[in-house]
Amino acid sequence: MKNYDILIIGGGPAGISAALAASKFNLKVALFEEKETLGGQLVKQTHKFFGSKDESAGTRGIFIAQKLINDVNNKDNIDVYLNSMVLGYYEDGVVTALVKGKMEKFKPKKIVIATGAFEKSLPFENNDLPGVFGAGAVQTLMNVYGVLPGKEVLMVGSGNIGLIVSYQLAQAGVKVKGIVEISEKIGGYLVHASKVRRLGIPIYTKHTITKAIGENKVEGAIIENIETKEKKQISCDVICLATGLMPLSDIINQINCEMKYISELGGYVPVHDDNMKTTVENIFVAGDTAGIEEATAAMLEGELAGLYASYELTNIFDNRINEIKERLKEFRKTSSKVVSGLKKLNLYNDFTVNSQEDLGKLHRTGIPEKESIESNIPKENKRFAIIECYQKIPCNPCVSSCPTNAISMDSLNGIPKLDTNKCIGCGNCVAICPGLAIFVVDKESVLLPYEFLPLPNKGDIVEVVDREGKFLEKNIVLNVRKMKDKTNLIEVKVSKEHINNARHIRVVK
Amino acid sequence: MNEEKIIVCRCEDITLKEIRDLINDGYTTLEEIKRITRAVMGPCQGKTCGPIIAREISKITGKPIEEIYKPSIRPPFGGLFFKEIVGEKDEK
Repeated sequence: MKNYDILIIGGGPAGISAALAASKFNLKVALFEEKETLGGQLVKQTHKFFGSKDESAGTRGIFIAQKLINDVNNKDNIDVYLNSMVLGYYEDGVVTALVKGKMEKFKPKKIVIATGAFEKSLPFENNDLPGVFGAGAVQTLMNVYGVLPGKEVLMVGSGNIGLIVSYQLAQAGVKVKGIVEISEKIGGYLVHASKVRRLGIPIYTKHTITKAIGENKVEGAIIENIETKEKKQISCDVICLATGLMPLSDIINQINCEMKYISELGGYVPVHDDNMKTTVENIFVAGDTAGIEEATAAMLEGELAGLYASYELTNIFDNRINEIKERLKEFRKTSSKVVSGLKKLNLYNDFTVNSQEDLGKLHRTGIPEKESIESNIPKENKRFAIIECYQKIPCNPCVSSCPTNAISMDSLNGIPKLDTNKCIGCGNCVAICPGLAIFVVDKESVLLPYEFLPLPNKGDIVEVVDREGKFLEKNIVLNVRKMKDKTNLIEVKVSKEHINNARHIRVVK
Repeated sequence: MNEEKIIVCRCEDITLKEIRDLINDGYTTLEEIKRITRAVMGPCQGKTCGPIIAREISKITGKPIEEIYKPSIRPPFGGLFFKEIVGEKDEK
């Protein structure tokens, strides 16, 4: 039997953050991870994160994971158990785990459960054909093992995962045939939706998948408009399901923590207070297992659980605890779903969420309304940035990247405003924007973010396309700026009539 | 829609038709369906099918899903060999 002050189950962003927080107090910490590496879902997230600079906004998930893992490895008081699955919890506080092929016993003073989430499945005809994948599997195959799941993919679900994985599939050279969404609105961040639309990927809102076609493997799918019942056949060899997550709560359930079914948080979640304490003494939760949210919230919650559990052991109250609670509030300002879920747990009772307006066409198609696009174009005839960011999401790297303070925002959740008098068209914001929603327009050129291979060279002729990926014209690349974080900047010459619609390029082979 | 070709429990290969037939026969708890079909008892321990079966019961009986889907879990959470509990002995 091994004794620990704090035992953490789950080595993803929440679990690692909890371990790092606890290690500050010189407590003996055990961090359990079922897989061969730490980092959880972060290790396959090649996109840049939203949020504020303090929480690694603008950094790619894979780099956040690397930093967290390095930090853990530099701590002597954290014992990391990889390939080690926690298998049970017993009334006397003993935790059993399978470590190196042997069942071992551990006795911690506090436990933080950060086991993450499980992907929801979907019943439709032939849903057991080879070629039906979960989005997590597709991301693992592609981004961790470097294996393509197929050649043509139909994505089901337009939440952030569906949108992001579609974009990553396109980056890997896979043809994404479309994204199917049952609701009338796109679920994920609209900048992500605009990003995939520019690649020519359609989003079918109010549609659902009814059937996978094929004998021995997926050869296509039938999707149906839920209102008109009109059917459409799409040929593909992969159907990728990104239909939501549910908290992975086996352990919490077994420990007999009080649970509550809250659909806004993904399913059954443990009742917990604002210090992440469950209803059972010494048991804390953090991350998706406490309710489905983003990775940034998971890291903050993990740190909070780690600090509070340490406080109960050491009696040292770290002011960061209160700071994190404020950060979480700031972060949740626009997520009405999460907050209404938390209210059912009697948290955030008098907290009000900034209401999200319906952004019309943008919410249905991923392409902004004509009026919004035009309101962005100033009259002056000079080089300036165009910010196509219309949705309130917690994100501000553009503001901090601007050398002339031309971009301002009321709060982290505000919409960026540009002072065209101050803008010098440098392109810093174009490179840093995690949503790839900023462009610099000059008299006869557009500077745009580009994350595909092969990169064009200066002087190459490329196809200039619009917000739907439709061909506008062929024109010449004026400049290529290779950036360290791999969001490269391409300046392409564009004729006057297309300048306000040219938003992406295709390299002609 | 061919209910016989819709798989609800991937581990035990149980179709939507089997589940709906049972509910219509009066088996309206997850526990009963689990005992009859073995759904929920495979390697994933009902993580995939549990919520889907609960939703079907809810749809047919009108009961809210909160009252139907309450997973019960016992250790060990995953499959393991006896040798991993007792330690391997050389049989010679």
